[in-house]
Amino acid sequence: MTRLRMLLMALLPLIAALPAAAAEKLIVGAIYVGSVNDYGYNRSMHDGLMAMKAAIPGVTVLEAENVPESAEAERVMEGMIQQGAKLIFATSFGHQQFAFNLAKKHPDVDFEHAGGWMQAPNFGNFFGATQAAWYPMGVAAGKMTKTNTLGFVAGVPIGYVIGNINAFALGARSVNPKVEVRVVATGSWSDKAKEAAATGALIDQGADVIAMHVDSPATVIQVAESRGVFSIGFQSLEARALAPKGWITGLGFTWGPFMTATAKSVIDGAFKPAMVREGLGEGMIAIAPFGPAVPEETRALVTAAADKVAKGFNPFTGPITDNEGVVRIKDGEAWGGDKMGNFDWYVEGVIGKAK
Amino acid sequence: MSEAFPIALASSAILSGTSLLYATLGELVGERAGIVNLGLEGLMLIGASSGFAGAALTGNPYLGVAAAALAGIAANGLFSYVVIARHANQLAAGLSLTFFGLGASALIGRPFVGALAPGLPRLGAFDLLVWLAAPLAVVLWIVLYRTRWGLMLRAAGESPAAAFAAGRRPERAQYQALAVAGALGAIGGAHLSLAVALTWDEGMTAGRGFIAIALVIFAGWNPLWAVIGALVFGGAESLELEFQARGVDISPFLMNMVPYLLTLLVLTFWGLRGRSAAPAGLGRGFFGVE
Repeated sequence: MTRLRMLLMALLPLIAALPAAAAEKLIVGAIYVGSVNDYGYNRSMHDGLMAMKAAIPGVTVLEAENVPESAEAERVMEGMIQQGAKLIFATSFGHQQFAFNLAKKHPDVDFEHAGGWMQAPNFGNFFGATQAAWYPMGVAAGKMTKTNTLGFVAGVPIGYVIGNINAFALGARSVNPKVEVRVVATGSWSDKAKEAAATGALIDQGADVIAMHVDSPATVIQVAESRGVFSIGFQSLEARALAPKGWITGLGFTWGPFMTATAKSVIDGAFKPAMVREGLGEGMIAIAPFGPAVPEETRALVTAAADKVAKGFNPFTGPITDNEGVVRIKDGEAWGGDKMGNFDWYVEGVIGKAK
Repeated sequence: MSEAFPIALASSAILSGTSLLYATLGELVGERAGIVNLGLEGLMLIGASSGFAGAALTGNPYLGVAAAALAGIAANGLFSYVVIARHANQLAAGLSLTFFGLGASALIGRPFVGALAPGLPRLGAFDLLVWLAAPLAVVLWIVLYRTRWGLMLRAAGESPAAAFAAGRRPERAQYQALAVAGALGAIGGAHLSLAVALTWDEGMTAGRGFIAIALVIFAGWNPLWAVIGALVFGGAESLELEFQARGVDISPFLMNMVPYLLTLLVLTFWGLRGRSAAPAGLGRGFFGVE
């Protein structure tokens, strides 16, 4: 009797685990460059994974925060693969090479990298095409500003960021031709003290609406809120919680649908690597709810501009002059998605030097 | 409302420079006692995370600063035991403290990333820590050069053997100096999280601890010159951002280099000053006299 009991007790966990193992369809790993509580990029990635998890019962998610863009990333992802992960989301640009190395080493594991270009049978890329989406944000800022000065805190002023700023400026000037946009680049995607100083400097120059492109909008928005100016958020829709009074609207990534579809394809054994870039209205980018200070008329204008962009309006349609008077996009021309990384000039109305 | 450039730059420099000044003054006190502490970066991070956590938990930013000071004293207490009682190599122990601080602060701060804690309220143009910073430097000057305790401390740094021969205990002065250094370094970090950035993020000091160590040399181990140094370096950081906001016609990439170029320039010309004013016993352990 004792022996039988011992045998049963040994087997019990195995028996209990059987149904769970059967229900577990997929283990997904995700690495983030920062903290998921950043109200920004990393939060948006985390929310996307949680949406995927809710949409597919039986999916387990392994997450690792603050994974640096170095060989450490490879080690962390390898650890997740050892734990049985069959789909890995490498969510920061600098994780690309390390994820790619692992893709070559583990052909049975699929990888999705955010923002890169490398391709392999088990390695794909995805990102949101943000530039045109900043146009309706500019419309909102242009209507809400009283000083006609908008401030933009940029991290590293690469072409895509400059494209965002240009679309923002074009949108603002389309409803308010007197508006000017001032830009401060901190030189880092995430340096809270510099972001606070940059926001202060812009407000000192008269900006009463602040927008940003850094990993986390939190510091910029909090400084703007403490100084009583408006803010427009970026990266995560949740950032609006930081500015109960000054929030106008914002852009946020909605990675859920893409992540869900990708996970399903891995479960079905039908993973197809691709270079996915989705703009406003295509599923990856959404516009945040408006803040209490935004009047109905402005909300309608912004929503109309957003619909225009979702239906295919390209703000970078010529003729467009840069802020030094040179015609950069000729009449009849338009800069499409493939040229978004080529911006090294600011449109008229932006005060700053792009390079 | 557009502010006059010199005023905007000055207030921005003072705000950025304050955390540097506290950290520099702390390191200065420790080095005057003969101990070089390369763990200042870790100490500042421990202060930033503990301060933010304390303020978030109690709802009172001043209690947060107090919590930071206590955490700093504890962390530096560990360092001082290792370096004074166990005669560990100061440079290696200091660097270990930096790495320890990086990890410990991440652990302490983890539940508070993205949290909202009350920041230090502004009393007039600046918060209390800013107003106290320069007077603190003066007080430290008086303590170091006009009190017996300060004399003891400097003796421990110049020649612990002589101090020992005079019937004193240099180790005691060093423990006390490092306690002060721990508190001040941590307060420097707390100012960053509770007044400048109003948030906590892993590694948010971004190398300021090491800049503070360089500032001690720049200041010639004199607290009054440390004030100038912190203003200059704090100013360099804000200068390029303020210039960008004004629309200066220089590439933002070049502008981002300004603080580091200024550091190099200053250290180059400062180095031409002549003989070093470092405490003679800096970095050496005292092993007692037979």
